[in-house]
Amino acid sequence: MKRLTTRVAALATALALTVSLAACNNVADSSQSSSVTVETEESSAAPATPEEPAQPAAVSYPLTLTDQAGRTVTIESEPQTIVSGYYISSSLLIALGRADRMVGIEAKADTRPIYSLSAPELLELPSVGSAKEFDLEGCAALEPDLVILPLKLESAADSLTELGIPVLLINPEDRTLLAETITLVGQATNAVEAADSLLAFTQEQQTRLETTLADADRPDVYLAGNSDLLSTAGSAMYQSDLIDLAGGRNVAEDITDTYWVDIDYEQLLAWDPDYIILASDASYTCDDVLNDANLADCTAVKNGNVYQMPGDAEAWDSPVPGGMLGAVWLSTVLHPDLCSADEANAVMGSFYENFYGFTYPLA
Amino acid sequence: MKTSTASPTRWRKAGGLCVAAGVLLVVLGLCSLFVGKYPLTLEGLISGEEMQIRVFWTLRFTRMLVGVLGGFALGASGFVYQTVFRNPLASPDVIGISSGASAGAAAGILFCSGTAAVTACAFGGAIAAVFAALALAALDRSGRGSTIVLAGIAVHALAQTALICLKLTADPERQLASIEYWIMGSLNGISLHSAALNMALCAVVLGVLFALHRQVILLSAREDEARMLGVPVGRLRLVVLLAATLTVSCVVSLTGLISFIGLLAPHAARLLTRSNRMGTMVLSGLLGGVLLCAADLLARSLAETELPVSIFTSLLGAPFLIWLVVRGRREL
Amino acid sequence: MNHEPFFTVTGLTAGYSGPDILRGVEFSTAPGLVTGILGANGSGKTTLLKAVCGLLPHGGQSLLEGCALGSLPPRQLARRCAYIPQRSGIGIDISVLDVVLMGYNPHLGLLERPTAQMKETARRALALAGLAGREEENYQTLSEGQKQLCILARTLVSGAQLLLLDEPESALDFQLRYRMLHLLRRWVRQERRAVLAALHDPMLALSCCDRLLILEEGKTLAVLSPACDPLPELETALSAIYGPVSLTACVGRDGRRHLVMLSEEREEDEPWNL
Repeated sequence: MKRLTTRVAALATALALTVSLAACNNVADSSQSSSVTVETEESSAAPATPEEPAQPAAVSYPLTLTDQAGRTVTIESEPQTIVSGYYISSSLLIALGRADRMVGIEAKADTRPIYSLSAPELLELPSVGSAKEFDLEGCAALEPDLVILPLKLESAADSLTELGIPVLLINPEDRTLLAETITLVGQATNAVEAADSLLAFTQEQQTRLETTLADADRPDVYLAGNSDLLSTAGSAMYQSDLIDLAGGRNVAEDITDTYWVDIDYEQLLAWDPDYIILASDASYTCDDVLNDANLADCTAVKNGNVYQMPGDAEAWDSPVPGGMLGAVWLSTVLHPDLCSADEANAVMGSFYENFYGFTYPLA
Repeated sequence: MKTSTASPTRWRKAGGLCVAAGVLLVVLGLCSLFVGKYPLTLEGLISGEEMQIRVFWTLRFTRMLVGVLGGFALGASGFVYQTVFRNPLASPDVIGISSGASAGAAAGILFCSGTAAVTACAFGGAIAAVFAALALAALDRSGRGSTIVLAGIAVHALAQTALICLKLTADPERQLASIEYWIMGSLNGISLHSAALNMALCAVVLGVLFALHRQVILLSAREDEARMLGVPVGRLRLVVLLAATLTVSCVVSLTGLISFIGLLAPHAARLLTRSNRMGTMVLSGLLGGVLLCAADLLARSLAETELPVSIFTSLLGAPFLIWLVVRGRREL
Repeated sequence: MNHEPFFTVTGLTAGYSGPDILRGVEFSTAPGLVTGILGANGSGKTTLLKAVCGLLPHGGQSLLEGCALGSLPPRQLARRCAYIPQRSGIGIDISVLDVVLMGYNPHLGLLERPTAQMKETARRALALAGLAGREEENYQTLSEGQKQLCILARTLVSGAQLLLLDEPESALDFQLRYRMLHLLRRWVRQERRAVLAALHDPMLALSCCDRLLILEEGKTLAVLSPACDPLPELETALSAIYGPVSLTACVGRDGRRHLVMLSEEREEDEPWNL
């Protein structure tokens, strides 16, 4: 008798599970099909997609864009509430004059000085989490018109899209992709004009450096990473580009990895760089390097040519909108005769004045 | 009848425990539906507010379903593993599921894109690891149960090696981090359409496992003995293990690794009922569900950001298990 | 007593990884007989039982009513032949009744469960084995001897015709040993059945078995009938295992003839040289 009742109970549990599963199956199917139809209707109804950069500044909505993950994203109307889950897009939104529309920001915003310098109100915004644990519900609760996320949060983007929230995935991994990101976010937030002037500034500095340094010697530069002196960036990385632009030669150019690689002291001594440049957020100091007994014979150390890239506004060795300033600064270190510090300071000052509204160098 | 006074009391206890655990699971499931950062309200749902309904189905319902059914599956299949391997420490890890799933997920993160692909790869990895373990074990014609465990350990080691190789090739900033977070396990961000198929398969196979309960118990006898009871030991063990593996893979490929439930829930159920009847298997499933749901509730509400659910399955589970063991000692 | 071939073993060879332990065992038994297997440690008693029911790879044949046991699929085999190992390998908490009900497995479909009638029979079998009223107790809390009796009850319900037991008396005390063997004698005479039991205790074997199979180094040394073979013949065969022995027939109060085996003191031919 008793055994029978448990058997019935077990059966009932199994049945209940199956029924609820069947129910959820239907729901999944219907929601999927409906979202598909909506999408096709909209994309066919959407006006000409603004692909050519020569388009006038005004953007018309609904707007269909292809983001940097190759997804098609439709934005119904000009986004008034934006969540940015990536420090690069957050910084970019400030530069585009859209910080006031942000309603949510990535985790650990308080570690980035650019926010307190330029838009301290961003620090008050709720955090939507980081790449490890993106807060889907918290993001949805902000009811944003647009969410901008890094490529690595693709799965969160899928879930948000299912919720009917448009998500733009960005992937500013090198200068070309950063330019693409700037254009994309500019269009999506109806700030094409600001995006264009940002791009123009970058282009102008690039041309200036290229012309000035066309015939200069190219000293050997070793770029030391944030975590360790013995980690460096190969030629495939954004940081290597910066060295090139600033008129240097990356000693690690033969390394083709797309991320920081670890090397050993012997390798560094064999390269014997003329300059050692520390990344902005390095966890060690120039003095550590100058006093490192293993490097006593290294040319850069012997000549005292160890510098850290400034990071008091932003980490210039990362692909932030103002990343070009990293090359501008480095050119004054490598070629003080050709690129004066005053000129560089003027460029930096005008960049932050124009796009971020504060005075640089900081007082 | 008159002599079996011990039985009804004990049996009623198992039934009562099942009902209690079931009620607790329902309560936790309901909590799970209405706890979260998004301000979901009953009124909003009833009035048919579009966003509320979408959040309910896409985020909350999926999460509740995976918590309840996933925990149930981990607990019930843990019962099966421990019984079939005749080893109280046996768990899906013994035959390499978790490391296979991790390696599969890592491969998915590296070479494919999209959550569904990673889920599929993790599932494939888990099943491949178990097939490899069972195939290796089949090489030993003597059919000893311990061979499977040894083969599992070998496969586990190989899968770990594959995982390390995959991690080495991963880009530390994005892919390596994704792999690590996947391995930590979480019920966050599982979309309904990727979960539906897994959960349906999981429920069906669970049904099969429960139907095979009597056979699972027969497999707990020593090999010769079981064979002489008419049990086709090799084949039946294969079927039962594959079924248990399938349910675990369905869950783990969605959530990432979730520690301890498969080990703890069956032990707790046995310590509470002191039997291995169907009721105990149901109870270990229910306790698994309770544990996972409770851990997930804490994981999503305790801190500003989501925490890995395994932290709480262990934090909740370990003291409970110790309490049960100590209580049992005192009773004896 | 009839001697039609009921169960026949021919040319049985078997072993583990090394050299064969069984080297051509031959014997046959009629229905209704309890056959005891006697032999020194390592003479191949357990191996013989395992080879007979096909648990060990083996050469030669075991025929039960013309049917080769070694070639049967597990379910068919289990319906005909039951095996009780020295110790049951059940290590989980399970009720005594559930253990007995396992015996019905060869008669149940994969998803079927024992019927009420089966449970009733199982209770009766437990009562016969002396475990009445303990159906719902945890099998793990039984003593080793009670576990053996429980497994015996499981075997009784399985409907097998051939019962193989490996030293069933090892965990039983004096009274239970005889009780178990008498139970087996009653059971075996009810239908066309046979019991093959490896035994450790020669006195038990002499008084309860219809036939004795003497194993020496993997071969059949002799097949004895303790009830009718002349004592000197029995003594010779038993001496091969136990050293010099003498047998005495005596009659108990029940009027039955019993054989008593005494060990002959060996002459102390070697000096005490410690």
